[in-house]
Amino acid sequence: MARIELCNITKKFKKVTALDNINIDVKDKEFFVLFGPAGAGKTTILKTIAGIEFPDEGHVKIDGKIVNLVEPAKRNVSMVFENYALYPHISVFDNIASPMRSPLYKKDEETVKKEVYRVASMMKIDHLMERLPSQLSNGQRQRVALGRCLVREPNVFLMDEPIAHLDAKMRHFMRSELKEMQSSFNTTTIYVTHDYMEAMSLGDRIAIINEGKIEQIGSSDEVYYTPANEFVAKLLGEPEINIFPAELEMDGRGLKVRMLGQENLIDICDDVAKVLNKKGSGKLDVGIRGNDVKFSFEKIDDNYLKGTVYIVEPIGNKTVLTVSINKQLIRIIAPNDFRAEMDSSIYIKFNMDNAMFFNGEDKTFIIRHNQDHYLRR
Amino acid sequence: MAKLTLKNVFKRYDNSGKKKVKNDYAVKELSFECVDGEFVGILGPSGCGKTTTLRMIAGLEDITGGDICIGESRVNDLPPKDRHIGLAFEDYALYPPLTVYDNIAFNLRAKNVSESEIQKEISRIAPLLKVDDILEYKPVALSGGQKQRVNIARAIVRKPKLLLLDEPLSHLDGKMRQVLRTEIKRLHKEIKCTTIIVTHDQLEAMSLADRIVIMKDGQLQQFGTPLEVYDDPVNEFVAGFIGEPPMNIMTVKISKQEGEFFFDFANSDVRISVPKRYYPVVKEGMSVRLGVRPTDVLIGDENSKGSKVKVAVFENLGEERRVSIRVGDEYLNLTTAEEIRYKAGDTIKLEVNAEKTHLFDINTGDRIRVK
Repeated sequence: MARIELCNITKKFKKVTALDNINIDVKDKEFFVLFGPAGAGKTTILKTIAGIEFPDEGHVKIDGKIVNLVEPAKRNVSMVFENYALYPHISVFDNIASPMRSPLYKKDEETVKKEVYRVASMMKIDHLMERLPSQLSNGQRQRVALGRCLVREPNVFLMDEPIAHLDAKMRHFMRSELKEMQSSFNTTTIYVTHDYMEAMSLGDRIAIINEGKIEQIGSSDEVYYTPANEFVAKLLGEPEINIFPAELEMDGRGLKVRMLGQENLIDICDDVAKVLNKKGSGKLDVGIRGNDVKFSFEKIDDNYLKGTVYIVEPIGNKTVLTVSINKQLIRIIAPNDFRAEMDSSIYIKFNMDNAMFFNGEDKTFIIRHNQDHYLRR
Repeated sequence: MAKLTLKNVFKRYDNSGKKKVKNDYAVKELSFECVDGEFVGILGPSGCGKTTTLRMIAGLEDITGGDICIGESRVNDLPPKDRHIGLAFEDYALYPPLTVYDNIAFNLRAKNVSESEIQKEISRIAPLLKVDDILEYKPVALSGGQKQRVNIARAIVRKPKLLLLDEPLSHLDGKMRQVLRTEIKRLHKEIKCTTIIVTHDQLEAMSLADRIVIMKDGQLQQFGTPLEVYDDPVNEFVAGFIGEPPMNIMTVKISKQEGEFFFDFANSDVRISVPKRYYPVVKEGMSVRLGVRPTDVLIGDENSKGSKVKVAVFENLGEERRVSIRVGDEYLNLTTAEEIRYKAGDTIKLEVNAEKTHLFDINTGDRIRVK
């Protein structure tokens, strides 16, 4: 149990800057997720905390104490790797017991047995104790690896994509299980993933990492509903959010937007208009998620824009409808029985209440309607 | 362009040297017919015989029994080159010393097509696959997505009767995969060639194909449109294989109370009413597998008669929210696009969309249908 701080951490591999001035303050007992695409630097951050990598600049603190010069074994961290890294020649029991038999954290065998069985029953592997890792399924191996990590009382659990190797079904299941067990960990946890659903589900807070920098830190609601920039918005959600340029224009009744080369202007909410008005001119991008677009084969009102069906992709519980308007592709979530001919006409209407507005130059977030409501939750 | 017919196709490998042979046949009694211009997906887990099937259609594997017809003609004994087939495999297998242009032209030159004709064909095909800007490049300079585009261009430039794609997207990363998936579907609309795609990814099969052949252990399980296999699976395997998040499939025991039947979940006190339409096929004490998709598990209002259950896990996943309820060692999941908020330990009333429940035989896994 401990607070983990990274202060101005910079790490270079030869000429490549892997981590660029990283600042993170993970609270005691917090479940903190590092989320980002492959190569963003997530695992390097984890290794820096574990002491496997040394930062070129900055401090790593555990409970306020600088540990830069403390060797990994003495930092009392517990790590789970994506590839399980079990000892192949010893049983499940001995694998889980191994951290408690190390010279530094040695416990008497009675305690070892008690602890191993406590963790094993939590992970539902108590019936597999005599097996070798080679006699287990991937899901079971991952449970053993997690169990081995949980068996001690370390300062912090470090988990590097622990369920990324599992098939889709098992991954959904293990994600729910991890979430259910979370409260019983009672220990600060830092969890690396590239799966936005894992990040949103598990994290008390999420740090979004890109090219060695932090793009945003916030709760799942904060990063999903008020992303710091277009990069974050695109990373969260499936299908990817629609983002395209728009122009502000004044008509008789107030500020409106023109987008996708359309004749008619589209209304925006008053609170949004106020902020955009203050910002003045300059390029603007609009972001609208796939479930905030209505569609119809008829033009119902002036806010419906005409486009053509680019593609219809049924994916089970829903259909992803992609509409082309003025060469811009808009992805829309439609009911699972929706069907339409490619290249036929269709009308779509954006739910501007849920639109996000970004600066068209630096791609940072400006405003959305009812913003405080999302941040309060 | 042509239709494709498989009639009672068998494939048997000679396993006489090996001790443990689980299944003698790689493909067994496989029959299906793709109509002219159709896009058909062959879907199944690894080892189900889907690639063997494709290779038999292409002529790369002998057929142990049955017939394969392209158009009206039986092709069992035709060599691959005479079957008028375009083939694109998972690994692009481009000729490294040749440019993209020469790679695409290779097969046409082998057939002594004139250079002017080749140029005409390539200028027609290249824009469709967005390779017109890279015709002078060599494969080493291309990304995975570009290589696969060239590979597919090479397959369709011969104007095949049949286009066969073997896991064309599985080497690509997430975003590229989605882009190329869309483009393959657009391409199919342009060239209207009968196309077969082999994949283990149900999402890929669902989004691309007009109809899907679902295979397991060398045998056909179901052949239908994406909506048919999703909404009306013939057995537990298909029900569990299709759909993401996966269908809840659990063992339940039928009980009877005051003339009404209930599903009692194994190792749990959760129960739900048996929809009336199942009354003719259920008996008290009978065990069945109950399948219901997470989107068809519902939260009842205060008047609901549904069983009271505790939320084990609540997840906000952006587009949808997910509630998991503990049922023995498993979870019963529900997902909804509505803006609900719960926390672990909250009590909800559990209901299901009765029309969308499926029953499977506990031994065979076959769907129990109501007349």
